Amino acid sequence: MIFRIAFKNVWRNKVRSLIVIVAITLGLAGGVFTASIITGMVEQKIRTGINNEVSHIQVHHPAFQKNFESRYVIPDAMGVAASLAKMPAVKAVSARTRIAGMAASPNSATGIQILGVDPLQEKKVSTLFTTIHDSAGGYFTGRHRNQIVIGQKLATKLKIRLKSKVILRFQNPDGDLTEAAFSVNGIFQTSNTMFDETNVFVRKSDLDQVTGTDNGIQEIALILQNIDDIPAAEAAIKAKLPAMEVRNWVELRPDMGMITSAIAIEVYIILGIILFALAFGIVNTMLMIVFERTRELGMLMAVGMSKSRVFRMIMLETVFLTFIGGIVGMALSIGLVGLFSHYGIDLASMSKGLGAFGFDPKIYPYISTVFYINLTVMIFCTGILSAVMPARKALQLNPVEAIRVD
Amino acid sequence: MNIIEIKNLTKVYDEKTIPVYALNGVNLSFREGEFTSIVGPSGSGKTTLLNLMGGLDAPTSGEIVIDQTDITRLKSRKLIDFRLRNIGFVFQSFNLIPVLTAKENVEFIMQLQGVNREQRDLRTLELLKSVGLGNKINARPGKLSGGQQQRVAVARALASKPKFILADEPTANLDSKSAENLLEIMEKLNREENITFIFSTHDSRVVAKARRVITLEDGKIVGDVLKNSPPKPPLPLGEGTGR
Repeated sequence: MIFRIAFKNVWRNKVRSLIVIVAITLGLAGGVFTASIITGMVEQKIRTGINNEVSHIQVHHPAFQKNFESRYVIPDAMGVAASLAKMPAVKAVSARTRIAGMAASPNSATGIQILGVDPLQEKKVSTLFTTIHDSAGGYFTGRHRNQIVIGQKLATKLKIRLKSKVILRFQNPDGDLTEAAFSVNGIFQTSNTMFDETNVFVRKSDLDQVTGTDNGIQEIALILQNIDDIPAAEAAIKAKLPAMEVRNWVELRPDMGMITSAIAIEVYIILGIILFALAFGIVNTMLMIVFERTRELGMLMAVGMSKSRVFRMIMLETVFLTFIGGIVGMALSIGLVGLFSHYGIDLASMSKGLGAFGFDPKIYPYISTVFYINLTVMIFCTGILSAVMPARKALQLNPVEAIRVD
Repeated sequence: MNIIEIKNLTKVYDEKTIPVYALNGVNLSFREGEFTSIVGPSGSGKTTLLNLMGGLDAPTSGEIVIDQTDITRLKSRKLIDFRLRNIGFVFQSFNLIPVLTAKENVEFIMQLQGVNREQRDLRTLELLKSVGLGNKINARPGKLSGGQQQRVAVARALASKPKFILADEPTANLDSKSAENLLEIMEKLNREENITFIFSTHDSRVVAKARRVITLEDGKIVGDVLKNSPPKPPLPLGEGTGR
């Protein structure tokens, strides 16, 4: 009964209730959409970061990460890679030579990381080759030797283009300084301009040939069947290779891990502020309703409605009002996020700025199911908290005085 | 049999500053089946007396015994429950719940009492028919005239099967035809079903219909007249007129 009266009371003043509901709806939809854009950007950054740059897990010699010295190779790397590839959770493995060096063109020179890869293996681990546009060459196409794939940012910096010559200077694991000319076969362009500027890819076989020695494998990168398998797979690999350093993408790129948790907190803060502001509107409206219905509430108490029932009735009215707005707001949010996650939001005009921070210019908003569940709890709490003050106000009414209010 | 016994009832407002005696040592009793008007000028204490009898307000001193329960000693929660089960109220401005139909407004009191649906439906229909609104059960208050709304309020007051009904100026907001009609219905309920009505009123039509008229002045009983019996002389000031 209280339930029914409370629900009917919500619609007593339709315009006022609708204004509150629309405010909640728009506030929520705006907040959720903003959160979805932020989350989408970060998810994309992480996805592309994993797929193009770090992969899920990497194996190195324990001393390698300290100074990136190429002498710290993984012993029996090919055997290790083959054994890792057989693990059920592992989708693909790429063994890489990673050497710090310099890239020079007739115009300029800069420090870079040289990655010697087997292109076939590498394509299974990294989607970097997909970022080479049609007009920007290919990914180790043709049979000629000393091909190099570089980033757009590096190409711009060195003022070189496809088929240009690039001189790579580096120290091989034996400490000998080597330099060799490579021809630009492809120019990739990820959303991370920093990565594009500092990483070049060559065939490992070419690298070994120019140094006249096996440069070894400093890095084994793995992509798993499922990102959720990382903890279990990481533990299994650590057990398998106790002398090696095994690290997941969060450890390899703490900035990416940190941004994920920071953004998760940030979106809740945004929604929290919006709901807090909305709560004031709801409290105000409900207080107005209590004042307007003073006589009626007095009558209810006079005829024998207990205080707890009056309290519950006002609480329910507030919760209904909040929930109706909440449900419509969530529905609108799901629709908006769904629509834009399909078509994406093109921020090409800002792409230069975004790219510097590793973000894609086209954003696909994303919100997890967990977020919607948490949001439902937050809306429910907002409704309950907003209801307490008006309901308490109703309890303070004295029936004798309330009945006589005009 | 007395259903209400009021002993030495006093209500003082602003006790600590300038005391105002709304009621001053009132003694009264009411029998089952009475049709009584409490009259008196504004500020004489009519409404205060009704509020105290209805357990809506607490007296400064004195006792109000209803069916062997001194309601002045009941704690808030028990008093609310006592009101729900023993006292019916009709207010000057109807005070129906606008979002509920006539049927729901009447039924609501029984729902508070925990009466089952079948019994509620039967009694609601019976009550609305008895106040001449059998054809308006699904109308909301906004679609009813003032007189019709007050008749719904009477049906609501009767819904809980109270020991008596307190009606504070029930005809004050009604035109004369509606007021007459309402009085006839209440008189009929009193006559045929022995329902006790106690009114506070200024309306001469209500006074004319009442079989007992209690006059209050400055918080004291100054007249207590039983129709068809010679009027009792008012007692000296400061004393009630216990019957």
